Amino acid sequence: MTDLEFLKLSKPQKIGYQFLQFLKKVPMAIISGIKKLFLGLWAVLVGLGHEIADVFSTFVHGDWKTRLSFLVMGFGNAARGQWLRGILFFLFQTVFNLYMVNFGISYLAKFNTLGTVETTRQGRVTVYGDNSFYILLYGILTICFVIAFIYTWRVNVKQNKLGQMYLKNGHRLKTGREDIRSFADEEFHKTLLALPVLGIFTFTILPIIFMILVAFTNFDYEHQPPSKLFTWVGWSNFQTLLSSGGANFGDTFRQVLFWTLLWAFFATFLNYFLGMFVAIMINRKGIKLKKMWRTILVMTIAIPQFVSLLYVSKMFAADGLINGVLMRWGWIKEPLPFWTDPTWARVTIIVINLWIGIPYLMLIATGILMNIPADLYESARMDGANAFQMYAKITLPYMLFVTGPYLLTSFTGNINNFNVIFLLSGGKPLSMNLAGNAGYTDLLITWLYKMTVNDTNYKLAAVIGILVFVVTAVINLVVYNLMPSVKNEEDFQ
Amino acid sequence: MKKVLALVMALAMLLSVACAEGFSGNVKIWVADAVVDFTQQQVDAFKAANPEYAGMTVTIEPVGEGDAASNMITDVEGGADLYGFAQDQLARLVAAGALIDVAPENADVVEKENDAGAVSAVKMGDTMYAYPMTSDNGYFLYYDKSVVTDPTDLEKVLEDCEKAGKNFYMEINSGWYQTAFFFGAGCTLTYDSDDSGNLTGINCDYATENGVKALKSMIKVAQSPAFVNGSSASNATNIGAIVDGTWDANTMMDLLGDNFAATKLPTVDGYQLGGFGGFKMLGVKPQTDEDKLAACDALAAYLTSEDVQLARYEAVQWGPSNLNAQKNEAVQSNVALAALAEQLAYAVPQGQYPGDYWSLATALGDDVIGKNLDGKTDEELLATLQQFQDTAATYVTK
Repeated sequence: MTDLEFLKLSKPQKIGYQFLQFLKKVPMAIISGIKKLFLGLWAVLVGLGHEIADVFSTFVHGDWKTRLSFLVMGFGNAARGQWLRGILFFLFQTVFNLYMVNFGISYLAKFNTLGTVETTRQGRVTVYGDNSFYILLYGILTICFVIAFIYTWRVNVKQNKLGQMYLKNGHRLKTGREDIRSFADEEFHKTLLALPVLGIFTFTILPIIFMILVAFTNFDYEHQPPSKLFTWVGWSNFQTLLSSGGANFGDTFRQVLFWTLLWAFFATFLNYFLGMFVAIMINRKGIKLKKMWRTILVMTIAIPQFVSLLYVSKMFAADGLINGVLMRWGWIKEPLPFWTDPTWARVTIIVINLWIGIPYLMLIATGILMNIPADLYESARMDGANAFQMYAKITLPYMLFVTGPYLLTSFTGNINNFNVIFLLSGGKPLSMNLAGNAGYTDLLITWLYKMTVNDTNYKLAAVIGILVFVVTAVINLVVYNLMPSVKNEEDFQ
Repeated sequence: MKKVLALVMALAMLLSVACAEGFSGNVKIWVADAVVDFTQQQVDAFKAANPEYAGMTVTIEPVGEGDAASNMITDVEGGADLYGFAQDQLARLVAAGALIDVAPENADVVEKENDAGAVSAVKMGDTMYAYPMTSDNGYFLYYDKSVVTDPTDLEKVLEDCEKAGKNFYMEINSGWYQTAFFFGAGCTLTYDSDDSGNLTGINCDYATENGVKALKSMIKVAQSPAFVNGSSASNATNIGAIVDGTWDANTMMDLLGDNFAATKLPTVDGYQLGGFGGFKMLGVKPQTDEDKLAACDALAAYLTSEDVQLARYEAVQWGPSNLNAQKNEAVQSNVALAALAEQLAYAVPQGQYPGDYWSLATALGDDVIGKNLDGKTDEELLATLQQFQDTAATYVTK
């Protein structure tokens, strides 16, 4: 279709055409994504091949100092006068060996079974056997350590090759003092990042790997360390959660996922548009007492959610304030089922969330609205645009451009919005039609919480955790690439 | 390697014989907030009476009965050595390896001195896993004398509450309170258990005429405008009558003042509401040190003995499970405990139930409250109960 033909189309036709174009792009995007993945993997393999080849050639062309360093790390460095590096390499190797012999090997050996020795009783005294939990945790730690060791060994080999080459070409090698000084100078980034990287590894990466692996075990109520063992079960937990038919985990999962996405959509966009609307209202020229209106709205932010949400939850209970007043006025005969009927509960939660969310959006929108150049509106008014046209053509595009990333993060945040759901309804009402203790207002994240805390069902909780990640990652990647702030970066500059 | 191990163990045995009797390490106890001070006094008394344990350091931490069980299951090794919990947690705790069976020398005494319900509640199969502490975890009816004229008939109770604009509270979406209807109508739901904490079989006849009768009563109650699902007196705002337990007796007395009254549960549709009789108990964690285990056993036996149970009643009004303590005058004159005793005649001692049973029951209750079952025919209700029964049967360990 040419541009001219496109311009002739009516508005809905244009939207339909653009949507079709978008759909046509999707398969290509997926294919190119897969292609990129394979190319990346190939590049990694090729890189590994080069590394191995380099190690061999270093050995073949190396002198005796270099060759001995393959066994005793840091020997070449020390022999060439770089004592500090030599000692550090050697220390690392010693620590690694001691760790492996005293600790690592025993865990690594049991890693494929996660332990076989059962807990027994000697008379009345308990003798604990293998602890699958520790085997899994320290197994992962040991594997990471092994990888770190291989990497360090590779660095050791490379340094020997370079050192040998430098000396042959008549260059001087860095002394220990120069090495230390370089950490405050050209290597300063390493000094700064050492601690954060270590922290991220211990407190983020290690637990994430642990959690992902738990999804492939039968770690649950019936298999709890230290008195019981758990072991690998492959993909069976994923099968349980994605299976279908009857009131089982598969259907419950789809039900909970559906509500999670529905909730995230309404919680994000209703708050966004209503918050913007309130900000525009307050910003209007004729409105008096602007500061007072803003203060009133911001009051909800000042009260901690734990207090306000629990209180509001009580207000809407069957014997709560709202039902009580309505009944006393004679408007209703029996209490409205705010928390007991699935649909009522869902709507109630979304509406109450508006009350919490609008003030935040109002604050954000107020700041941005004041930034929109007034001359844009002025010229629009001269051209005879009405209020709605000005909103649709000036305010909204500007707002979307600036707050696009915010919208995306708040959508993701709402998918994992534990507080509001847990404090308001606790996931209730439950039903016989749902499995695994899930309720009609449970988000994936609150369901996961119930599974770990109430049901000790760690294996399924881990699977849900992985699926939550997949869902949010896919949505984020797709939406992020569609955002005007990313696509047309220069529009509003 | 084995020889070395044997040698070490032999040495350890020798050592344990050498310093036989007595223990002077640390013992951690978790009890409900309300009895922390009381337990501290009793522990001091225990140490005074048993000089061999005088050097023992006892730490008492306030951890509620529900939390105690969850925390123990999450981290057995870091948990308390002695902890109080309610019996619905027993199966979970035994399965998680967080309880050691009662020392043989104490088991006979416990069996003889406590009421039969409490004794059956601390057993899995034939093995006794905890020391009964109270026999007051049952529910009955508290009501406002100025509102409810006839507390013997549930329909009249509801009618009176509706007329007065007050509410009738009963937590029918709890597996615990719900059994009032089913057991009252003549149904049974019990699980068989073996000695290691596995549930090996189920006896359930909910999917019968009686079950349908009970479910229909529940639906009818839930339809009353006065009905509110709930069982916590302190959370309720407009009480005409409430099905609740002894733990809320003081709250109810404060709320209702002179109009305070308590009695057994009413009848509905021609049958007496039944339910569970429940118990609180004290458990001992499996130990790797024999002396410590002996110390824990002795302390647990002491803390659940007749005298201490009576003293506990006097301090915090927890109804004793000890038969002699139950005959005490002060215990017998307590209004709430008297109502409970009256109700216990119709109640079934609570046995072992899997954790999933409680959520399943909540699901059924929520369906009733959410009016998903209103207007259903008897056949449809029977199908719902059949589904309930089938799901409950899947919780049996294979």
